[in-house]
Amino acid sequence: MTRAALMITCLADMFYPEVGERIVRLLRRLGVDVTLPSGQTCCGLPLFNSGYHAEAAAVARRTVAIFRGADAVVVPSGSCAWMVKHEYPGLLRGSAEAADAEKLAERTYEFSQFLVRRLGQTSFETDVEGPLAYHDSCHLLRGLHEGETPRALLRGLTGTTVVPLPGSDECCGFGGSFSVRLPEVSTSILDRKLANLEASGARCLVACDAGCLMQIRGGLARRGSPLRALHLAEVLK
Amino acid sequence: MTEPILTTPLRERASQALGDRFLHEALDIATTKFITLRREAFDDFPDGERLRDRARAIKEATLQRLDTYLETLVDNIERLGGHVHFAATAEEAREIVLGIARRTGARMAVKSKSMATEEIHLNDALQAIGVTPVETDLGEYIIQLAHERPSHIIAPAIHKTKGQVAELFSRELRRPGLPADPEVLTKVAREELREKFLQADLGITGANFAVAETGTVVLVTNEGNGRMATSLPRVHVAVMGVEKVIPSMTDLAVFLSILAKSATGQKLSVYTTLVQGPRRPGELEGPDEFHLVLLDNGRIAQIAGTLREALYCLRCGACLNVCPVYRQIGGHAYGYTYPGPIGILLTAMLNGPASVGDLAHASSLCGACADACPVRIDIPRMLVELRREVNERRIAPWSERVVFKMLARVLGSSMLYRGAARIGRAAQRPFVRDGRIRALPLFFGQWTRTRDLPAVAARTFQERWREL
Amino acid sequence: MSSRGEFLGRIRTEMTKTRGLFAATPSERPAQPGQRLELLRRELSERWPQTLERFRAEFERVAGIFHRVPTAAAVPAELVRICSGLGARRIVAWPAEELGMAIAPELGAAGVTVESMPHDVPADDERRRVRALVATADLGVTGADLAVAETGTLVLVSAAGRPRSTSLLPPCHVAIFDRAALVESLEQVGVALEAWHEGTPPPERGAMINFITGPSRTADIELTLTRGVHGPKEIHAIFVDEALARRG
Repeated sequence: MTRAALMITCLADMFYPEVGERIVRLLRRLGVDVTLPSGQTCCGLPLFNSGYHAEAAAVARRTVAIFRGADAVVVPSGSCAWMVKHEYPGLLRGSAEAADAEKLAERTYEFSQFLVRRLGQTSFETDVEGPLAYHDSCHLLRGLHEGETPRALLRGLTGTTVVPLPGSDECCGFGGSFSVRLPEVSTSILDRKLANLEASGARCLVACDAGCLMQIRGGLARRGSPLRALHLAEVLK
Repeated sequence: MTEPILTTPLRERASQALGDRFLHEALDIATTKFITLRREAFDDFPDGERLRDRARAIKEATLQRLDTYLETLVDNIERLGGHVHFAATAEEAREIVLGIARRTGARMAVKSKSMATEEIHLNDALQAIGVTPVETDLGEYIIQLAHERPSHIIAPAIHKTKGQVAELFSRELRRPGLPADPEVLTKVAREELREKFLQADLGITGANFAVAETGTVVLVTNEGNGRMATSLPRVHVAVMGVEKVIPSMTDLAVFLSILAKSATGQKLSVYTTLVQGPRRPGELEGPDEFHLVLLDNGRIAQIAGTLREALYCLRCGACLNVCPVYRQIGGHAYGYTYPGPIGILLTAMLNGPASVGDLAHASSLCGACADACPVRIDIPRMLVELRREVNERRIAPWSERVVFKMLARVLGSSMLYRGAARIGRAAQRPFVRDGRIRALPLFFGQWTRTRDLPAVAARTFQERWREL
Repeated sequence: MSSRGEFLGRIRTEMTKTRGLFAATPSERPAQPGQRLELLRRELSERWPQTLERFRAEFERVAGIFHRVPTAAAVPAELVRICSGLGARRIVAWPAEELGMAIAPELGAAGVTVESMPHDVPADDERRRVRALVATADLGVTGADLAVAETGTLVLVSAAGRPRSTSLLPPCHVAIFDRAALVESLEQVGVALEAWHEGTPPPERGAMINFITGPSRTADIELTLTRGVHGPKEIHAIFVDEALARRG
């Protein structure tokens, strides 16, 4: 039996708990024993990206300890998965947690990567009305070099159509604190993403990152758009 | 220190740029076109990835023996009858060029596009001693007439409409009624500048590369002004950052194979000009004097610094074209000589970290720049390092540091974290409608002015876990 | 200004503080570039028709106009055709020994004046006169040292009798070459560049090498492509099947 520890991420924990729920139910249905190590807060990416590296390292240390011993760790956000896999080893090099950080980095999967590459599952059904269009989050695509697993899952869906999103690899403008440091620029970038979404003919945008979803949903809602933006986990049945 | 630190906040400059509808459209068209051309060029070039890796390795290898390669370069240029000068600062570089201009009695200098000469603000200095600098690259010529700075590393006048150029030429060149036709306007520029090329005493250029092994300075251009400036006037001065030296002609072939493709999608630019000192005794044409000014201006300090990798830069502009921020605000909003992602790093290099207090955050860290860079410079990594430096040197405002330190404490304790969720839930109550928040006071309004915000969930995922 | 010693000293100081970012080496250079180039030429001579075809395709792709004639003697007639197409009446050209054929008589007979560039460097006032001639000529005729198939590029090494402005100032440039100039790739150009700089250069060699890929162009005004900015607006290449008798 596959065991997996869920790293819920601060944004999903606080704002999108339903995404977490769907992931847990889905994984259990696939025969995965899902655990939730307690005391989770955040991966530390917001601190890291704003240049507070000592503080980010402290959070990393904490996270590494919480997930010690996990066989596999599943993360619903590309950016958090990237932080753990790409930055934790460097942040904790030379410290007592160095070896554990390397292990954690190795065993961490972004959600779609876990389904496809670890479990070999690509066929799911969906209730979501299409057409669907996939938006590549920057950290998943360029950080973890993963553009295939979410697309494989969408292609494998019965019950809907998938259309390409023009500029799917273009940033949505979230960028963490960037979204509130330069809000006009962030919104301008978002406008471009929303225009592309509209041009695609899709009814629903799908993404694998809570930050992107917060930005894109926030923009769609403000415009009163009938279009939706969902996490991949909300699409898979 | 090259440029005075700007006092208008970046946010204001950016907002101004966002309000310029023509700029917006021009940027969209230009950047999209460059992106497409670059992609097509590399799709058609199976050896591209290997050559990019090679180019990156050559740059790193060169830095590891920079002193030796520079010595070889200098010796070879002197052997060919040229002169090499060493400028630690922008001011020294200006003085060197002014000195040459004075000594040779120059009254007019034709300039082929050079970001290095922009960086040291050479034109104003020349003008001040009575030497008229004439920019000859069409885009640079346009902005010189308009008294503006370039807005893109390789397409400096991208922010101007053809109508604006027609009006500018009609007025400044006293040729009333010129049509907004690029063909006609280009012909006018050709005529005006041809006279200048033939009369100029001094040709001033930059250099894309300098080959140590053969003392060769290389210019990559499309218009022919690089060839004119290095063959017609009696004195040629090239200003070049020290990091542009490369070991051999074999290395040059590697860079030539990827530079133009990255910049404009061309296989090669129209002219690649290899300058090997002043004209030889048996040569009909060419300058009597050749000078290379090697420029430090903050580069040398980065050999062992956080921005070392930025020294690989070929100045192709590919990172500008893909940057979501640059694509929205254009080059002028950055406020310094070099715009775009690499521009932020170069600004820090030339002017110190205090100059990028806000610029270091002019990025969503999306990584498109690193992807597009022909020599794979990890720009996002260095932007984060700059942010760190800005914090550590207390350049970031005190209020911001307090917020982040508080955040760090909350994230360091599950008790504080849970408490924060409870406080959030309580504080948001007056603002929540249908699970969404449309307006928030104070700092949070930065988000809600243009976007809805989700409400903090009635129960967080960790609070619900037991029931799942 | 800083002295060489100070400047390089500072570089050395900084270099000692770091081992660099990763292990890296510059390009491997041919040990005997002259020999390597010779070998390359021999290999290429066996497949020159394919190389020529590729050159032609790439040259035309960058708006070059390609011509092919069987012999050196056929070149002047081709030039007459080009000149008449452009209404060119006065042209400048590298001297016959640099082109590999005499062109003045036949062009003269067709009403086109040919000013041949001097081989030896004249006095300053003569140099000025020649400069003015080139600047007002309708067309410039040169040879080419390399024709690069990968990119449609012509490489011209300046030398005595092979001045720079002939291919730059007139609004039309015509380059004449034979199969000996053909190379396939930029990598091979790198070999040639290494070979040309092995040992002492010949006394007639100039101080400039120009790579020319199509006519002068810009897209600086609203990204609209226009040709003939400062350099020539039109570029022609005349390939001669027979080997040309010109200094190598």
